[in-house]
Amino acid sequence: MTALTRQIVAIARPGVVWAVHFIAIYALISAACAARALIGHPTLLIAGAVVTVLGVALCLWSVAAPRTGEDGDLRPAAFWSGLIFALAILANASALFFFQSCGG
Amino acid sequence: MSVSETPTTYSGARKGEDKSFEGVWDTPKGIHVLSSVSHRVVGRRFIYTGFVFFLIAGVLALLVRTQLIVPGNTFLDLETYNQVFTMHGTLMMFLFAIPILEGFAVYLIPLMLGARDLIFPRLGQFGYYCYLFGGIIVLSSFVFDAAPDGGWFMYVPLSTKAHTPGLSADFWLIGITFAEIASVTAAVELITAILTARAPGMSLTKMPIFAWYILITAFMIAIGFPPLIIGSILLEAERLLGLPFFDPMLGGDPLLWQHLFWLFGHPEVYIIFLPAAGMVATMLPTFVGKPLFGYGFAVAAVVSMGFISFGLWAHHMFATGLPILSLSLFSAASTMVAVPTAIQVFCFIATLASGRPKLTTPMLFILGFLSIFVLGGLTGVMLASVPFNWQAHDSYFVVAHLHYVLIGGMVFPLIGAFYYWAPHFTGRMMSERLGRWVFGLMFVGFNTTFLLMHITGLRGMPRRVATYAEGLGWDRLNMLSSIGSYILAAGIALFVFDFFRSRRHGPPAPRNPWGAGTLEWLYPPVAPGFNFHAIPPVESREPLWDQPHLLETEAHKVEGVMHGIRDGRRETVGCDPVSGKPLYILRLPHPTWLPMIAAAGLALLFGATLASAYWLCAVGAVIALVAFTLWGWEPSDSGVTRDAGMGHELPVNVVDRRSHMHVALVGTMLVLMALFASLIFGLLYLWNIRPEAAETLTRPALLPAAVAVVLGLAVALFGQLTRRAAVRDRFAGATVLSLLTVLTSLLAVAALGLSLMPIDPWASALGATLWAIGGFVAFNLAVLTYWGLFNAARRLTRRIGPGQSMPDFNLATFAKGCGLMVAVAGAFFIAGAVGGVG
Ligand code: HEM
Ligand SMILES: [Cu+2]
Repeated sequence: MTALTRQIVAIARPGVVWAVHFIAIYALISAACAARALIGHPTLLIAGAVVTVLGVALCLWSVAAPRTGEDGDLRPAAFWSGLIFALAILANASALFFFQSCGG
Repeated sequence: MSVSETPTTYSGARKGEDKSFEGVWDTPKGIHVLSSVSHRVVGRRFIYTGFVFFLIAGVLALLVRTQLIVPGNTFLDLETYNQVFTMHGTLMMFLFAIPILEGFAVYLIPLMLGARDLIFPRLGQFGYYCYLFGGIIVLSSFVFDAAPDGGWFMYVPLSTKAHTPGLSADFWLIGITFAEIASVTAAVELITAILTARAPGMSLTKMPIFAWYILITAFMIAIGFPPLIIGSILLEAERLLGLPFFDPMLGGDPLLWQHLFWLFGHPEVYIIFLPAAGMVATMLPTFVGKPLFGYGFAVAAVVSMGFISFGLWAHHMFATGLPILSLSLFSAASTMVAVPTAIQVFCFIATLASGRPKLTTPMLFILGFLSIFVLGGLTGVMLASVPFNWQAHDSYFVVAHLHYVLIGGMVFPLIGAFYYWAPHFTGRMMSERLGRWVFGLMFVGFNTTFLLMHITGLRGMPRRVATYAEGLGWDRLNMLSSIGSYILAAGIALFVFDFFRSRRHGPPAPRNPWGAGTLEWLYPPVAPGFNFHAIPPVESREPLWDQPHLLETEAHKVEGVMHGIRDGRRETVGCDPVSGKPLYILRLPHPTWLPMIAAAGLALLFGATLASAYWLCAVGAVIALVAFTLWGWEPSDSGVTRDAGMGHELPVNVVDRRSHMHVALVGTMLVLMALFASLIFGLLYLWNIRPEAAETLTRPALLPAAVAVVLGLAVALFGQLTRRAAVRDRFAGATVLSLLTVLTSLLAVAALGLSLMPIDPWASALGATLWAIGGFVAFNLAVLTYWGLFNAARRLTRRIGPGQSMPDFNLATFAKGCGLMVAVAGAFFIAGAVGGVG
């Protein structure tokens, strides 16, 4: 892989991680709060915390990783992409921890 | 520069061997111009047609404002009012905003990136006619007095047969779905063009920022439109066939429509915003005289906006009784999208601050964009907060917000873009003096109309009401809003006048009139139809600034690759998607009527569905199929090498994952997977939300479902083996294996069908959804079958000769995608059969 390809991957990866995390959180909420009530609230919280920690870690990988390469123009893009998505993952997860039940 | 005239036998399509380079690229004359496939012609058509829709929808908006100018007005009756605001929203969103922006992209991308045409010119023409015919279908509803009146988002149950018995909703569903085909095809074209046809040396980092914006937008269209296409097909199936997808009595759910609609609808507003922001990011540096501040930031912001905008859809559903936990998830995500938006705005402002901006007309529109859009963004963050949203929901506050975002974020940059790029269309400059008036009128008119609507909304006026009582505190505000809308309209009328005036009387545009840095200004306007005599190597993001020889030389003498003509064909250079290194010669099609005929066939199919003339549907389908077949029935071009100049000896069409055909196929698979995923979402959603209904469902048959999974894997395997045989030039082996792929896919259809046999799709929404999944997979397998047979036939008639493996290479990718769908569908059927669905 060339340095540039690595940078492109580092830009896109946090996005994919965010998407997977979003789907996971949405699925967990749907599983806990819809009529079928597949899982209970504790499961929701534990699973939510696990995917969030994983997600943030994977995003920060892009923040830390690609520092080399001659064609460095996209390095800030990877850095910012990692940061923005890490923040977005935390924001999505925060929804879980503000409420003790599904509510409403 | 040598022009290679190697007389090696060329097995590809013979086209214009008797013609000169210019002759090959000539736009056909007279009525034949309709058969043109050039991105310049097609792009312009998208732009002009889109603008006509804008004017029509604008007139409808004026009718709305005229009706609301005084309380108790009877200018429009209630029925007509509903039609007018519905059509206003529908035309603006589907037939104006997206197509016109795609038109600009189709027009500008090849010029900016150093390509002679878009990669799939025929697909471009096809998309345009789909758009045109779809738009005509939607508009024609006025003629039949059946204009849709259910609002631009067509909520069920209002739009079901029971509550909208006429044809109005059908016009909407069918016409819009048809027009969406155009958006999706253009998206696939743009993705491919940006990734595979750039000037030598234009790596992704050196790509003009506009191309990044369009690339992300195109991906968003590919993923964002499918949920609505599926939703529309399901709703039309409910209306036409009585399948109960959204019927709560039979285990369906009206909210499923809202989910599918807004899964599309929210990304849609970013799909509208991003290209316009891309235009701003392109124009701004020109007038500041400095490169865009923070290219890397901007790329990161665009990418993250593209992703995050898919996680917000339910903020349009805050008032529907979703669990509070869901609300807070979507509220958090909606607030977060402000971060990438703010980063972009920050980049724009920092660019402004880095030099001395020249206050030209486009620049005024950019400033207008910044001020209005930021305000719209702020009210957006307000609306993302659930309690405030409940207060403001369905009020004029929302109408104000959405127009701040859409008009500020898209119409202002668009008009600025017209002033900026007009020389490309007319060869002349538009008037700076009139331009200032246009801007002034639009800016004052816009703010008068919509700033006040925030207050009207907070004072409780609901949207979509045809009239209101006197003395509620809304009278003066509405009066002023209406007057403002006339001022805004005057600005737009003046713009139209200026555009036509400048075509004749504008000062002729000099070469690079604004002193821009991007490649589309290399030639004096209007650039020749082939864009470039030779495609110059690019060393920077602003080649016209950093490579001064480009403008010092006469444009047609600029050195580059692909000078002259080889084998009498239209061609451009194909590149490595990441590094921009020249990889192959891309042969492009010449003018043809086939895509138009295919689109006309589809129009007949859709139109006849509306008229319930099913035999005509069949005729339309056959016409389309024949046209598509002839379209593809060409000798394969690959397998020879030619001199491309500047020391490049390049093959025609590489057979590789990086080839344009393969990139486009991956783009198409993305669309298909998104369609499939939308159906799976529907299935899981209904299953999860209505457990009691799921319990009563008859189960799918187990054995055939299991067989289907195996057959799905077999389809993928045989597809892959066909590829291997073809790449190794085993002619007979490839033919046999492609027939085996066909055979297994037919068997897979049968297995899926057998598994669904016990289920009555009319009895329950879940059953209907299972059938819809089966039907969708079967449709794809039918395409695979047709394609496999088609390839085999081309092989046997030597349209695919020895050494040409591209068709089978691509078929394999499609076969793997289809195999995956079969396996997933089969797995769900098994789960239903084993676990019981209940
Ligand atoms: C040209 C100036 C425009 C004016 C004066 C205008 C005016 C209006 C008004 C008054 C409404 C509310 C109707 C009602 O709720 O009863 C409305 C709705 C709407 N407008 Fe506009 N508009 C304009 C441009 C646009 C543009 C450029 C777009 C999109 C690109 C747009 C998209 C919409 C949508 C989606 C709705 C909602 C329709 C519905 O409720 O179903 N408008 N417009
Ligand atoms: Cu939204």
